[in-house]
Amino acid sequence: MRISFPRMGYSYIAFKYLVENIGHDCVVPPEPSKKTLDLGVRYSPEFACIPFKILMGTYLEVAEMGADTIITSGGVGPCRAGYYWIMHQQILKELGIEMNIIGFEPPLHDLRDFWKKLKLVWKSGGVSYKEFVRVLQVAWEKLKAIDDLEQLSFHVRPYEVVRGETTRTLWKALEMLDQACTVADIAAARDEGARLLNLVTRDETRDPLRVGIIGEIYVVLEPSANHYLQIMLGEMGVSVDRSIYLTGYCGRNTIVTPEDDVFAMARPYLNEAPIGGHGVNSVGETVLYAKHGFDGVVQLAPFACIPEIVAKSIIPRISRELDIPVLTLFIDEQTGKAGVQTRIEAFIDLLEKRRERKRKGRGRLVV
Amino acid sequence: MTGAYLGVDVGSVSTNVVVVDGDGKILARRYLRTDGRPIETVQKGIKQIGEEIGDKVRIAGAGTTGSARHLSSMIIGADIVKNEITAHAVAALNVNPQVQTIIEIGGQDSKIIILRDGVVIDFAMNTVCAAGTGSFLDQQAARLRIPIEEFGSIALQAKNPVRIAGRCAVFAESDMIHKQQLGYNIEDIIAGLCEALVRNYLNNVGKGKEILAPILFQGGVAANLGLVKAFEKYLGQEVIVPENYDVMGAVGAALLARDAVSRKRTTLFKGFKIKDLTFKTSSFECKGCSNLCEVVQFYQDGELLARWGDRCGKWEVQAS
Amino acid sequence: MATIGIPRTLAYFIYFPFWREFFASLGHNVVVSSPTSKAILDKGVKEAVNDACIPIKLYHGHVADLIGKVDYVFTPRLVSLRKFGEFGTETLCPKFLGLPDMLRASIDDLPPLIDTRVDLRQGRQELFRVCRDIGEMLGAARSDIRRAVAQAKRRQERFQRLLYQGVLPEQAIEAVFGGTLPSVNQGTPEFSVAVVGYPYVVYDPFVNVGLFGLLERENARVYTQEMLPARKMAAEARKLPKNMFWYFSNRALHGALYFMAQKYIDGIIHVTAFACGPDSMVDRMMELQAKQQGGIPFMSIMVDEHTGEAGIRTRVEAFLDMLRYRRQKHEN
Repeated sequence: MRISFPRMGYSYIAFKYLVENIGHDCVVPPEPSKKTLDLGVRYSPEFACIPFKILMGTYLEVAEMGADTIITSGGVGPCRAGYYWIMHQQILKELGIEMNIIGFEPPLHDLRDFWKKLKLVWKSGGVSYKEFVRVLQVAWEKLKAIDDLEQLSFHVRPYEVVRGETTRTLWKALEMLDQACTVADIAAARDEGARLLNLVTRDETRDPLRVGIIGEIYVVLEPSANHYLQIMLGEMGVSVDRSIYLTGYCGRNTIVTPEDDVFAMARPYLNEAPIGGHGVNSVGETVLYAKHGFDGVVQLAPFACIPEIVAKSIIPRISRELDIPVLTLFIDEQTGKAGVQTRIEAFIDLLEKRRERKRKGRGRLVV
Repeated sequence: MTGAYLGVDVGSVSTNVVVVDGDGKILARRYLRTDGRPIETVQKGIKQIGEEIGDKVRIAGAGTTGSARHLSSMIIGADIVKNEITAHAVAALNVNPQVQTIIEIGGQDSKIIILRDGVVIDFAMNTVCAAGTGSFLDQQAARLRIPIEEFGSIALQAKNPVRIAGRCAVFAESDMIHKQQLGYNIEDIIAGLCEALVRNYLNNVGKGKEILAPILFQGGVAANLGLVKAFEKYLGQEVIVPENYDVMGAVGAALLARDAVSRKRTTLFKGFKIKDLTFKTSSFECKGCSNLCEVVQFYQDGELLARWGDRCGKWEVQAS
Repeated sequence: MATIGIPRTLAYFIYFPFWREFFASLGHNVVVSSPTSKAILDKGVKEAVNDACIPIKLYHGHVADLIGKVDYVFTPRLVSLRKFGEFGTETLCPKFLGLPDMLRASIDDLPPLIDTRVDLRQGRQELFRVCRDIGEMLGAARSDIRRAVAQAKRRQERFQRLLYQGVLPEQAIEAVFGGTLPSVNQGTPEFSVAVVGYPYVVYDPFVNVGLFGLLERENARVYTQEMLPARKMAAEARKLPKNMFWYFSNRALHGALYFMAQKYIDGIIHVTAFACGPDSMVDRMMELQAKQQGGIPFMSIMVDEHTGEAGIRTRVEAFLDMLRYRRQKHEN
């Protein structure tokens, strides 16, 4: 099979390794570009969210590059994304494109379906079961290492003296990870990458604002979907804490702890969980960021995202009660980088002024 | 010669250039149409300002704002580059230190800025829709063949403004045509359009914001008295249009420049001579990695002055 | 005795007889919000988060309309109405799940909300548990609650039977509470048209801008998914590669699939609300299925804050003309 998959941040490095080492050809999905979006918008329902449209475009691009199979995630609702692979398959079929989309449903809900699909991918590749499991493990280690390095970069970037040095170093480190083939190699590559990131020339006199990022997973994780917001913030001298990493809410060095706690935090404001996607998380994490003394929160979500609209209607109340500014950015195909940048710059100005005042001891702002 | 400060605000529709004194009083001002040529328009504005007061004042600092703020800072040599929200807030505070709400409606976007005790505490900008912006009125004025300048005074004559539905400019237009076909008179339709814009603005940009007086109304659209009246009707409070409502962004940039140079005491401003320089931009696609960034190069008299657009920073040349 | 307000929107069209009977037999007074109007819509648009869809904005408007007229507003948190779907995880749209919290965050001076969680996936006893919680909150004895539930169920069953006979919900609501059914036009209709979509969009005369009257005047007989018994709908579920996650969406989609397969149906109209998230999937799926299943004429009408009757009429007339031409061509 010639397998491709959705692109989300740097995770493609791990998925590429996975596909190639279980005996298939890999078509690495290109980074979503204007062309991807144009293609996607053309064939998607108007009110589908931007992840649907970008993926639609990506699938059309990889089809052109020769992919015959796409592996992606399913879902049990109530977020729409769990149904996307079915819709994508139907729309591709309508366009006369032969593409087999394998949507993995959460194994806890349908173990048999999960095994059936996993077996299909494994058997057709022709590697032994033992090797298959080993490759899965290595891929998982890669994913974790990618998350570790990206997370470290968020804390280094606001101090960098030469703009772009952190980003370039991160890419170099990711390249080393890309080459690593065993768990030991990955650990070594990660350590070396972290060492290099820590060597980035820093101006320690800076005092970065701390901003938390919440929202819907796809637009949070895929930089091209959010106009490289996290890099943009870092280069403005802001230390970013992202609430979502692909390897889950494992709580490693993040303030965001397992989901139960997030749901508990959300409960006084939203007494139902889950409501699909990251809706409840967005509410709970706003509370957490406020309690941890963050300067502000940016909510990133696709335009018309159902769970995030619920969150957005509730967040102003939290913002008032816990005194933490929140900027919501709803992203669709019309969103331009300039618009995002202007809002972010103004938001950072606002946060800086607030912090200055607070430090001058005038106490809390009257809102 | 007294020290003065230059502010440039380049938006998609208009380019504003002002020179203010140390207290923010305007010494000279220009309001030009950008017409998609930001470089030429900025040069033209600077040239005109220079001819007017170039020999009377010494520019001690310069600032830029607006959507083309980075480009224009390269052209003039700016001491500070700021987003338009902060610029508008600074200018408004200079006019009225007690201001708590700023309504700003420009050609392509609209904003609300909420201040308390002289500090911005919240803001919002319009999302994708054009219904709450000046271009909406421009279009409708063109459709009705009424000069946009007369729009406001005609609206004031309305007795019973027509209710024009419309979340979006296109739908509002079709509804307006429908109302015309039903035979409503033109004053009531125009007043209805003003109210539709205000409603859209308040339900969109202004949603959930605590709008307290004093309220300043800024941006080119504030010239429209019909709109001012519609805002007052909906808010039940007085809406103040400051004297230089249409160039407030530029004033803010100039004031920000004043504060910026007060610390470093020199300016990067290149002088009014920039009208004689040639600026050129070109771009290429970097093939260094799979990102294929579009890198923009900025030349002054053939000399490379700056480069931007690359994500990794390897091409970056900063104007010094 | 308390006065309880029920918003005349969302699930009103499917559960009102039950709840009115339940509250009334516990001795309470039930007030329904005014029929949807421009004023209600305006209130909703003002209060609700502006990214919300029209139905959610309308719901805010209806709740706001009840302020000052009632002691409680009945806004149950509708999580699920049955165990359904590949994983048994069917719920209502996420916005329904968060609705009471959205109301509290957006509207000031709300009367107390009765926002009991309704999650009927849990089992047969769940409905009684919900009623018990509400009844006890209102101070009723267990035995009275049991009696009230039984009465409410009977009322709801009568309502349901009328729907299966082809009566539209609002007329059926009137009929089960002592009104009379409007006389049925005995003539032969020129067309049979299925109208599918969410009850709160399809049956609200303000939202659908008089669609039913329009179809009646054009001599078309209307069928809707509420007229189909559950087992007929369930059979349609198997035609799909995977069911959707939302109750109303599955009902609309299964209804549409059922009608596509019926010879007597000439065409299908899907009424959808502007900015509805699930409908972006539902509508495209219906369109694709209509094509795949022999190309039955399919039209979707999107309603929003200011759909005019003129616009709907033009579309419906054109659709019926199309059906007419198809038939003529077929007969020749």
